[in-house]
Amino acid sequence: MAEIDASERSTREINAAMRQFIAQSCKEITVRNPGARHNLAVAILQEAHIRIAGSVGYYCAGLIDGASIEIEGSAGWGLAESMLRGTVRVHGSAGSGAAAAIRGGTVVIHGDAAARLGVSMKGGTVLVAGNCGYMAGFMAQKGTLIVCGDAGEAFADSMYATVCYVGGKIANLGTDAVIAPMDSAEVEQLEKILSTHLPAALRSAKPSALDFKKVVAGRKLWNFDKREWRIWQEAL
Amino acid sequence: MPELQNSGIFGPRVIEEIQSKAESGLYSIRGFGTLRERRWPTFDDLTFLPCTLTRIPLEGYREKCSTKTVLGTRFAKKPIQLDIPVMITGMSWGALSYNAKVALAKGAAAAGSSNTTGDGGMLKAERENSRTLIYEVLPSRYGINIHHMRMADAIELTIGQGAKPGTGGLLLGSKVSDRIAEQRDLPIGVDQRSAARHPDFLGPDDMIIKVEELREATDWQVPIFIKLGASRVYDDVKLAAKAGADVIVVDGMEGGTGASPAIFQEHTGLPTLAAVCEARSALQDIGLYGDVQLIIAGGIRDGVDAAKAMALGADACYIGTASLIALNCNKPIYEDDYRALGAAPHACHHCHTGRCPVGITTQDPELMKRLDIDEGAERVRNLLQVMTLEIQMLARSCGKSDVHHLEPEDMAALTLEASAICGIPLVGTRKVFGH
Repeated sequence: MAEIDASERSTREINAAMRQFIAQSCKEITVRNPGARHNLAVAILQEAHIRIAGSVGYYCAGLIDGASIEIEGSAGWGLAESMLRGTVRVHGSAGSGAAAAIRGGTVVIHGDAAARLGVSMKGGTVLVAGNCGYMAGFMAQKGTLIVCGDAGEAFADSMYATVCYVGGKIANLGTDAVIAPMDSAEVEQLEKILSTHLPAALRSAKPSALDFKKVVAGRKLWNFDKREWRIWQEAL
Repeated sequence: MPELQNSGIFGPRVIEEIQSKAESGLYSIRGFGTLRERRWPTFDDLTFLPCTLTRIPLEGYREKCSTKTVLGTRFAKKPIQLDIPVMITGMSWGALSYNAKVALAKGAAAAGSSNTTGDGGMLKAERENSRTLIYEVLPSRYGINIHHMRMADAIELTIGQGAKPGTGGLLLGSKVSDRIAEQRDLPIGVDQRSAARHPDFLGPDDMIIKVEELREATDWQVPIFIKLGASRVYDDVKLAAKAGADVIVVDGMEGGTGASPAIFQEHTGLPTLAAVCEARSALQDIGLYGDVQLIIAGGIRDGVDAAKAMALGADACYIGTASLIALNCNKPIYEDDYRALGAAPHACHHCHTGRCPVGITTQDPELMKRLDIDEGAERVRNLLQVMTLEIQMLARSCGKSDVHHLEPEDMAALTLEASAICGIPLVGTRKVFGH
């Protein structure tokens, strides 16, 4: 177990210290006094567990591949953006664009997520225990996006093949988003994700997997079609 | 019989366009770049003033005239070092075939220059065949991969493109093959519309943090470029410099594209000539001219255009369409296939269809075979080398021992507009108009 005190160091020094510990085979690292600093734990490419004891700024855990990052506070914009593999857990809430463009891995947010959660995501799983802001899932391409609470406006707008689940209310659906039926295998799979990734106390306070709504792309924006002029007018 | 007369407003082309929209219900989408007749100020509106009595030329074919180009000296530990100031711009694997991407990489490497990835990520063969590879980080983030980013020699954060600033790319379903779909994490055959905005930042202040992230991700080793479609260039260049760019790329409205709504290609952005002048002024006004390097792109055809851009303030130029023409774009071969597209050699702008007769802008394996990688690479190398020789010839005639020493004083303006835009005297006068 290694500790890094962030209070007297630059971002570059903090990240360099993380890499140095990992290179020395120390795979359990705690960062103290993060002070909501931007760009912490960026591009960590090894299987290490990094615990950040406080809140972080923009792009924490961005571009990682394989690491497990735990934030014992809240996170700013672009949490875990473009991650390939790994796990990112936020005990508090996350700012806009959380899990933007991730291609794999899992992002778990115990609190709420702001706007554009999972925007352009290309794989992986995003799980929010609380609510999410507007345009969650915008242009999302693959992967699974789960919101246990309420979803904001324009939910799942202009998606490709991402599958979304919402436990609470949806303010309104985005362009080309449709509610789809869930079969028993999907309910089982969803329950497994919820119980695996949420702490028991948090899970028990959330709706049953059976009560979630599934949202997918209506596929009317996948190819240009003059018969769908009205939807294109909205979308373009 | 009285002479028949076309309308000056509703001419044959306008009538055809209106009827096409009425029949298809869609606006026109095509590739290549603007087709408008060039009525705006261009590099053709400038002429060089070689040495006579007031200055001494260098021997045109003998004396040294350096073309070494170093980019990224501001913050990066390892600036990129090129043998020549002409580089290959970003064009995606998807818009271009595999063979085209690899031929460009090999050709650029052979000429001592660089090539750039594009929307859709890096091809392994592209990296293997490049000497200097620039990795683009685009709003779509298709194919984004930290391992590929860390293999690159520079990172280019793309905000926009000259052919279509303010909007994302297009890749019509005919080109979203199984391989391209896999690379971009998309369903096969969708009409893919790339994002116009980055998913994780919106404005210039956030971009400062983004640039820091890219530096952290690459250990502060490689230069960070910021690429702008030429729009509000003067302000945008200042903001990009403030965000910490090592190099700023400005792409003018003459820039090409694989596909976009035709109206963007014809009616948006600034001409490249104006863009380079605004970019230089912006850097001068904030005291960073020379510290932040400037790359100019958009319709650069030959060494003359490149030399004029450099004289106006560019450190290097990107070429895109010219490099594809070197690969045989619009060459009069396979003429039946041009006709099948409703095109003809020298008048083919059908990159968006995926049916490129010469194997460049296609994902069809049979069409792609028409572009031999090694032969194509050889032609790209030749073009880059000839362009460099042209720049050197002009530089020597102006008495310069380094192509980077070309300056506005080496030219005169042939039109009032060019004089006003470039801040150099109009021919036949000693006046800079508009200043």
